[in-house]
Amino acid sequence: MRNAWLVRVVSIAALGCIAVAGGAAFAADNDGLTLPEGFSAIVVHEGQGTARHLDVAANGDIYVAGRNGLSAMRDTNRDGRPEVVTSFGDVKGTEVRLFKNWLYVSDDVGVYRYALKKGQLGPNGQRETVVGGFPQERQHSDKTFALDTKGTLYVNVGAPSNSCQEKDRQEGSLGQNPCPILEKYGGVWVFDGTKLNQTPANGRRFATGMRNAVAIEWNAKQNALFAVIHGRDSIDTLFPALYNAEDNATRQAEEFHPIVDGGDYGWPYTFFDTKLGKRVLAPEYGGDKTKEPEAGKYPDPLVAFPAHWAPNDLLFYSGKSFPAKYRDGAFIAFHGSWNRAPEPQAGYKVVFQPMKNGKPSGPYEVFADGFAGDMKDNSPRNAQYRPVGLAVGPDGSLFVSDSQKGRVWRISYRKK
Amino acid sequence: MTARWLRVAAGAAMACIAAANASADEPAPGALLYDKHCLSCHQADGGGVPNMQPAIAGGTWVKGDARALALFVMSGGFDSASRKDSDVGNVMPPFRELPDADLAAILSYIRQKFGDGGSPVSAADVAAARASLAAPVS
Repeated sequence: MRNAWLVRVVSIAALGCIAVAGGAAFAADNDGLTLPEGFSAIVVHEGQGTARHLDVAANGDIYVAGRNGLSAMRDTNRDGRPEVVTSFGDVKGTEVRLFKNWLYVSDDVGVYRYALKKGQLGPNGQRETVVGGFPQERQHSDKTFALDTKGTLYVNVGAPSNSCQEKDRQEGSLGQNPCPILEKYGGVWVFDGTKLNQTPANGRRFATGMRNAVAIEWNAKQNALFAVIHGRDSIDTLFPALYNAEDNATRQAEEFHPIVDGGDYGWPYTFFDTKLGKRVLAPEYGGDKTKEPEAGKYPDPLVAFPAHWAPNDLLFYSGKSFPAKYRDGAFIAFHGSWNRAPEPQAGYKVVFQPMKNGKPSGPYEVFADGFAGDMKDNSPRNAQYRPVGLAVGPDGSLFVSDSQKGRVWRISYRKK
Repeated sequence: MTARWLRVAAGAAMACIAAANASADEPAPGALLYDKHCLSCHQADGGGVPNMQPAIAGGTWVKGDARALALFVMSGGFDSASRKDSDVGNVMPPFRELPDADLAAILSYIRQKFGDGGSPVSAADVAAARASLAAPVS
């Protein structure tokens, strides 16, 4: 009797193993990620080095931008994992976007494109420069961009500064007013993305007051540009009489905005304080913790995400395979903080923001978590993975890239 | 015999507890100052943040000459040609506003903790380095 029971248990366990092996592409534990009910994750690939953004073509080919260069991947036998993986070009950077028959990519100083040919995985021809000659800066230099349906190119030009102090990141140093950095940085510059060999001077400042809008995306349905902006650091160490370490870890929102022509989003003069739920003057510009800027001068964010979570990609879900509530909503990849220390680091997750007609229709939800692991010593260096890029595949799956090891996941609904 | 052994063992245990308490109650003088001025960038373990701030743990600065370290921390990472090609984004502000004694405590702490138990730095070392700074405090 007892033996029979044991045989049954062992048989069930064995069957379980076979079931997992049969659907080999699907990790039994979603690769350690926590996902909402009904979703599952597989590891698509790892091994091309630190990844940044990625895009997926209509035929399922995957293009990844990384610190080591560009990669193209093709899953020929449809098992979920690419058999063909190639590196190409000499662009080491962040952004990669498919647009018509082109692959647009960027590094710190330019936006480029490669022609693609139907059926061919790698580029068809040499790299062309769309805009070159952005100054090489040390801080916030990744030139992420978005393209609208006509090929208008919106480039995030991050400010090489924390808060435009007279002396950058020095205790008590006041802000430069007006902040001269805003003439060339700290906003979005717009170009004709179909023209070649442009310089920054050929562009026009579309929007300003944005410290670093790494997560920038064109929303085709709303015909509008959106961004999630990295907020400032170090209010405690720069102004210790006003703010403590907990304030620094929690107050300065990562701001989600629709980005409009001529818009000014308040950096460096202000930040949106999540504790007060309002925009306040930055301490470098006369802020005393509660003093507000002139009413109506800067818009409030659609959503004020927690401080230092580091929004590094934004994607409006256009797929069909996720449940209805995800349609037209926003996924945001939060790379995770370094600048909350000594408080525990945070972020390191993919968040879903429900949206209707371009506006939030409910509170945000954590969609995928568990990337960072134990993170020994509270150090981002020890994070197992850090989500950094997002894309939607032709079947509606969500692809996520990681900057620690270059891992790429595919998250699907009811595919097990 | 047994009683004596027990007494010895108990004594050893008490000493052990006392030692543990002493180390818990008395952080290195520079530890709190490190937490306040340095930790957010270089992190609690001195390992820095890839692409953002460099690791100091195990590096040449904390193991090398004390006055050179003091001079570097007071000069900051700005305008340093040798650091132009560094793979980290952020530059260190100059910490010359801190008093000699505080800087000495911080530098002693990071040399001890992150520099294989390096020798302490005195306020006089910091003062000497300060005197060699090209520009006065502004």
